[in-house]
Amino acid sequence: MNINVLLDWISGEHISLVLFFVGLYGLVARRNMLKSILSIGIMQAAAILYFLSADLAENSVPPVGESVAGQAMADPLPQAMMITDIVIGIGVTAIALTLMIHLYHRYGTANWQKARDKRRE
Amino acid sequence: MMVPLYVLILVPILAGLALMALPLRWGKALALASQIPLAVMAGQAFLTVRRFGPRLQVIGGWPQTAGITLRAELLSLDLVLLSILLFACLLLYNNGKPYVNKTFLFLFLSFQGLVNGIFLSVDLFNIFVLVEVSTVVISLLILFKPNSESIYDGMIYLLTNIVAMTFFLFGLGLLYKTTGAVDLDSLKRVISGFEDSDRLILPYAFLMTAVSLKAALMPLFSWLPKAHGTPGAPTIVSAVLSGLYVKCGVYLFFRLQDVFEPVLNTRSLFLVLGLLTAVIGFILAIAQKDIKLILAYHTVSQIGLIMTGLNMDHDYARYGALYHIINHAIFKATLFLTAGLISERYKTRQIGQIRGVWREMPAVALASLLAILGITGAPLFNGSMSKAWIMYGAGPTGLSIALYIINLGTVVSFVKYASMLWGKPPEPSEAPFWGKPGHRLPALVCVFLGLLCLLGGILSEPMTRLLFGVALPVDWSQYGRKTLIFLLLLGAGASLYHFGLKRWRYLQQARGLDLSFHDICLTLAAFFAGLVIILKIWY
Repeated sequence: MNINVLLDWISGEHISLVLFFVGLYGLVARRNMLKSILSIGIMQAAAILYFLSADLAENSVPPVGESVAGQAMADPLPQAMMITDIVIGIGVTAIALTLMIHLYHRYGTANWQKARDKRRE
Repeated sequence: MMVPLYVLILVPILAGLALMALPLRWGKALALASQIPLAVMAGQAFLTVRRFGPRLQVIGGWPQTAGITLRAELLSLDLVLLSILLFACLLLYNNGKPYVNKTFLFLFLSFQGLVNGIFLSVDLFNIFVLVEVSTVVISLLILFKPNSESIYDGMIYLLTNIVAMTFFLFGLGLLYKTTGAVDLDSLKRVISGFEDSDRLILPYAFLMTAVSLKAALMPLFSWLPKAHGTPGAPTIVSAVLSGLYVKCGVYLFFRLQDVFEPVLNTRSLFLVLGLLTAVIGFILAIAQKDIKLILAYHTVSQIGLIMTGLNMDHDYARYGALYHIINHAIFKATLFLTAGLISERYKTRQIGQIRGVWREMPAVALASLLAILGITGAPLFNGSMSKAWIMYGAGPTGLSIALYIINLGTVVSFVKYASMLWGKPPEPSEAPFWGKPGHRLPALVCVFLGLLCLLGGILSEPMTRLLFGVALPVDWSQYGRKTLIFLLLLGAGASLYHFGLKRWRYLQQARGLDLSFHDICLTLAAFFAGLVIILKIWY
């Protein structure tokens, strides 16, 4: 296989799709709550990467300040949306981690299976 | 001139912030008082929309594709008014509860603002933000009286819903690349002229997976009973989750279907899913022993019914389903509130141990009964009207038989639920009609909501004309026949329950059906994959 074909295939969009499903795999396959939260982080990072890399024109500059003649500006809308999403992601991750610690203190475990068994008791 | 719509979102949140600075007694009063200007403003917006048609407001002077866009139209304002009615009743109900503190009121009022925002937003990214934040707020509210069960339930709720919303966000990214828009109006414009349906399949599947989980469609409902029925959750939180918040998912589904329908018509698929959800929901509801869980699983079943109605190819069915959204909010809230009072009085939630509610708490029992009559579709009650319209849309096909079976299931589960009203209480005490002094106000709220069920039935014709601007026929001459059918269903349901299902072994096993977090993620992935495959085959 030609290495250039592979290199062409590696773009932000494709990587983000792969990352998204890596995160999903982590959610399904890992039993530790911390890893579940990390997997969600990966999925969110994938979504952010997708927004920022999709439709990105080559050699475009960040949409900040005065525009320079002859240089294309990147689309500001996805960037604005992703800043919002990063902030939300931080909040959500913080809450999830807090809950996890709380649960760990209550049940003495951060394993989904064991926590579920404890809940049934 | 209409009030700026963002006020409907900001007033509850600001009131919540302001009451943090006040003593608790004043804070409670402020929380209640904030509902009055809200109701006035929402009412004014509603009247304006009724006279002059839908209004669009863009915040910040940006073009519609880039700014935060809010739209007032009949359906969204109906739901906003419904939320104000429910929140006012719930705050009144909760006035004397010991766990209420300022943080709780702040979270609860913020939640109201977020829900109003979801109903009014036109922009999918804003909807994403609002839903994500409300997920966080809800998980804090569920855990407000923490005990060991609700921590696990809250964790499951938070993580599954975040995963679903990540699907939503990714789908939104794909959609933005394909169409260059994130607000529903522009999307509708672009998509209706779209030739290449293939490129819409992936974003659609991502978005619909998320929305189906939010709406608790089969097989993605297993987080719902955990969140709505968890023992630690305050009663009013359960009531507002089951009554109102789950409808946000249904509402989003309705909006997105409207956008995608010209290219990807998936009505028959979601019709089948709706029917399956309704059937599974009532089977699991019958299997439960905990009164809150019966109600929570029953919400799943009713969501299925609403989805069935929304996906029928008939206007009456669709408006019937929309009216059922409102009706369900009212009777399910009543049922959760009465269940809260009952379990407080009997200090248990096991249905087998609660007997004689009529004698112990007459007012609460009356409210329960009114709501039960509403939800089972007794003649003259609101449930019968919306169900009749959904049935009308089905026509004389196999579909209407399925709907009768669903209604029979509802009746059976409520025959079981109502068994606690009769009999002899374990520790009889002569109670006054409105109950003990501390229970008087909550009981009054319950009876008020219960009476609304009756009112919504008798006045269903003018109500739908007011709320949706359509005239749906109510054939009063058919009422004798309808009453007969209801009585037959009631008889069949009661005998089915008492002579068959009560001791059916498989039903007992269904109670243990409880998906773990991994199973939920796996079903989510499978649902997504299935949706992509089905759409690929169809188009």
